[in-house]
Amino acid sequence: MTRIMLGSAVLRGTVVGVLAASLMSTSALGAPPVDLSKWSPEYVRSIAGTQDFDTAGDCAKVTPLDYKGRLTFWYQGVFEGDPDLLRQYYKDFFETFRKTYPNIQLEEQALTYNDLLDKFRTALLGNAAPMAVRLQILGGTEFASKGYLQPLKPEDVGYSTEDFWPGAMKAVTWDGVTYGVPTNNETMAFIWNADIFKRAGLDPDKAPATWDDVVKYSKQIHDKLGIAGYGLVARKNAGNTPYRFMPQLWAYGGGVFDEATANPTYKEVELDSPQSKAALQASYDMYVRDKSVPVSALTNQQADNQPLFVAGQLGMMISHPSDYNVMLDLQAKATGTDKDKAQTVIDNMRYGLVPTGPDGKRAVVFGGSNIHILKPEYVEGGKVDEPAAKAMICMWASPEWSLKMAYAGSNPGNLNGFKTKWMKERLDHIKFLDVTTSMLPYGIPFPALPESPEIMNIIIPDMLQNALTGAMTVDQAADDAAKKVKDLMGGL
Amino acid sequence: MLRNIWAHRADYAYVLPAIAVMLIVIAYPIYYTVELSFYKTPPGLQLRDKTFIGFDNYTTILTSEVFWKVTWNTLIWTFGSTFISFVLGFATALALHRDFVGRGVLRAILIIPWVISAVAASYIWKWIYHSDFGIIGAVLVGLGLADRPPNFIDNVSTVLPSLIVVNIWREFPFAMIMMMAGLQTVPDQLLRAAKVDGANAWQRFWHVTFPHLRNVSVVTILLLAVANFNSFIIPWIMTGGGPSNASHIWITHIYELAFGRQRWGVASAYSVLLFLILMALGYFYVRALSGNERKEGRA
Repeated sequence: MTRIMLGSAVLRGTVVGVLAASLMSTSALGAPPVDLSKWSPEYVRSIAGTQDFDTAGDCAKVTPLDYKGRLTFWYQGVFEGDPDLLRQYYKDFFETFRKTYPNIQLEEQALTYNDLLDKFRTALLGNAAPMAVRLQILGGTEFASKGYLQPLKPEDVGYSTEDFWPGAMKAVTWDGVTYGVPTNNETMAFIWNADIFKRAGLDPDKAPATWDDVVKYSKQIHDKLGIAGYGLVARKNAGNTPYRFMPQLWAYGGGVFDEATANPTYKEVELDSPQSKAALQASYDMYVRDKSVPVSALTNQQADNQPLFVAGQLGMMISHPSDYNVMLDLQAKATGTDKDKAQTVIDNMRYGLVPTGPDGKRAVVFGGSNIHILKPEYVEGGKVDEPAAKAMICMWASPEWSLKMAYAGSNPGNLNGFKTKWMKERLDHIKFLDVTTSMLPYGIPFPALPESPEIMNIIIPDMLQNALTGAMTVDQAADDAAKKVKDLMGGL
Repeated sequence: MLRNIWAHRADYAYVLPAIAVMLIVIAYPIYYTVELSFYKTPPGLQLRDKTFIGFDNYTTILTSEVFWKVTWNTLIWTFGSTFISFVLGFATALALHRDFVGRGVLRAILIIPWVISAVAASYIWKWIYHSDFGIIGAVLVGLGLADRPPNFIDNVSTVLPSLIVVNIWREFPFAMIMMMAGLQTVPDQLLRAAKVDGANAWQRFWHVTFPHLRNVSVVTILLLAVANFNSFIIPWIMTGGGPSNASHIWITHIYELAFGRQRWGVASAYSVLLFLILMALGYFYVRALSGNERKEGRA
């Protein structure tokens, strides 16, 4: 029987510290619909299924249901690493939208995480952007700062700012103005194969407590069993890389800037600090010194680690909330003896909190997505149908759909989503959900800067690759990355 | 001149739509790229906020360490892929020029890599090369020839040669087809006459066959070189230019500068330089074609 692994202290929600403060203690936190200070798996369970919402009725107040219009809409959709369940919910959403707003001609286009930014930037250059776009959390500030987006706050689509995670609201705010509405927010957790741990002589029910333990466990697994211990990811231009390295960087006390503090200023570059170098050294030790992680880490992403894990060839990795469902999908597609092997892995899956740094600091990327409305001059045809766009945003960010669209892969951006009956159902059906929701208070948003996409998608992976390939020493790679960030911030 | 145009107005009217389309889709982008190459386009600003900086982008490129690394990679990639593809294609064409049972089937099989989508081929090869559970690694480990799978694309020393192998696999059928077509033009009576005169196989090839193939060889090499200089799909999909920029060639570097880092000005300057190189290759290509035509005209 698979058990959820949680430290009891965490369960009580007592060890949250500075990271939680950064996420929760903002001025925006007036009267949220849920009590974030009580956040724990028990609390989440206690509020699930306690309130009903009428999505169509609520959105009718924003845009009448008989409104006639046209909307072009791009969104970060499902990709190869997502579970089938999520595909179905996306399909259901668009069908429901068309039924709810039968007179809105919707032209939607799904793009993968790694393609969306490039395509959207290109479209903006030609004034051929869609009227509304759902971007990854990293992207909003870049486009807001350049003046492409219209001011848009939750109140414009029938909600309150307090209905959303304060950390998520930070990511859609530039220069004091709000430019978008969060749709979903997630934090990752840690996943391991108890059977591999046992065979490697490790406690099968105990996650590595610190990142130093991860390095040790990874080596032990590799040395004893000849398979990869930890699922390192270091591909460039892939969202998976910063999502997996930044928690390590922050846990060691490092950072790109001071983004892990309660009130970040983003003034000083800290990538070359001893703490940041210690985090990079840990990756170096696993990849180069111990050779205990997949060699393919430099060209692969998380979607490549998932089959390795389900094949029993990988001991542990940072895991998205959806990974349990992905494993089930992969198992269903397996044939012959592979099917049984995959089932064994699934039975031995364990989820726990992401390890801490040497000083007990635990951190994870506060991820998610936001919806934005473009200014008409950048849109194909020069017109934006605002009521149609707001209808779409109201529906997607509603408690019902922000939960359903995040059913297997994330968490609702709208905190009221945690109160819906679907959340209750989800808690019963999605294994390990408690763990991933428990990580939410440890979430740190990426720096809310227009330069963040380049820092996270190019400079950080470059730093990792330079160190791991031996092209530079760990010190040189960190110094080089710090210089690149300084140059970037200096407008070079 | 105007009178001449007026006299042929119907002819001009016929080609006018094509010229208009070419101006829009070819001439304007070239003009705009050249113009943009003289501007600074900070990534934090919109493109319309660009500032004129003259040749600074070109200076930045030529003095940057990355430029020389990427240029070296591009030269290895282009010359390696072109030369080996041509030699392999030529050798295969010679082998298939002779009559034997199953020649048609073999020819069809050899053309497959060329007709497969480059995107699909890149993904297939990525899995073949996979450093942890690739097919090559599995076979070598299975046969006891290696302790662990060889590292093809996650290593700065081996990544570029590994990508060149994929590119050659995709391209040599093109060279093969071109050279097979060329071999059809070698007069059989000349080869027979040389044989009667006592020339051995090598002498017949070197003194009769090869001179007839000189022009088609030049055209094939130039076409391969241009395609390789501009080859984006294989390196981008398989490695994204990594690890540690070891497989970045000009075209992937330009893409990353423009779309990943939004340095439109620098990327445009790179593109202009690439354009000039390709224009030079294009000039030689046209000259080679003209040479063929002149030769055919004399014949």
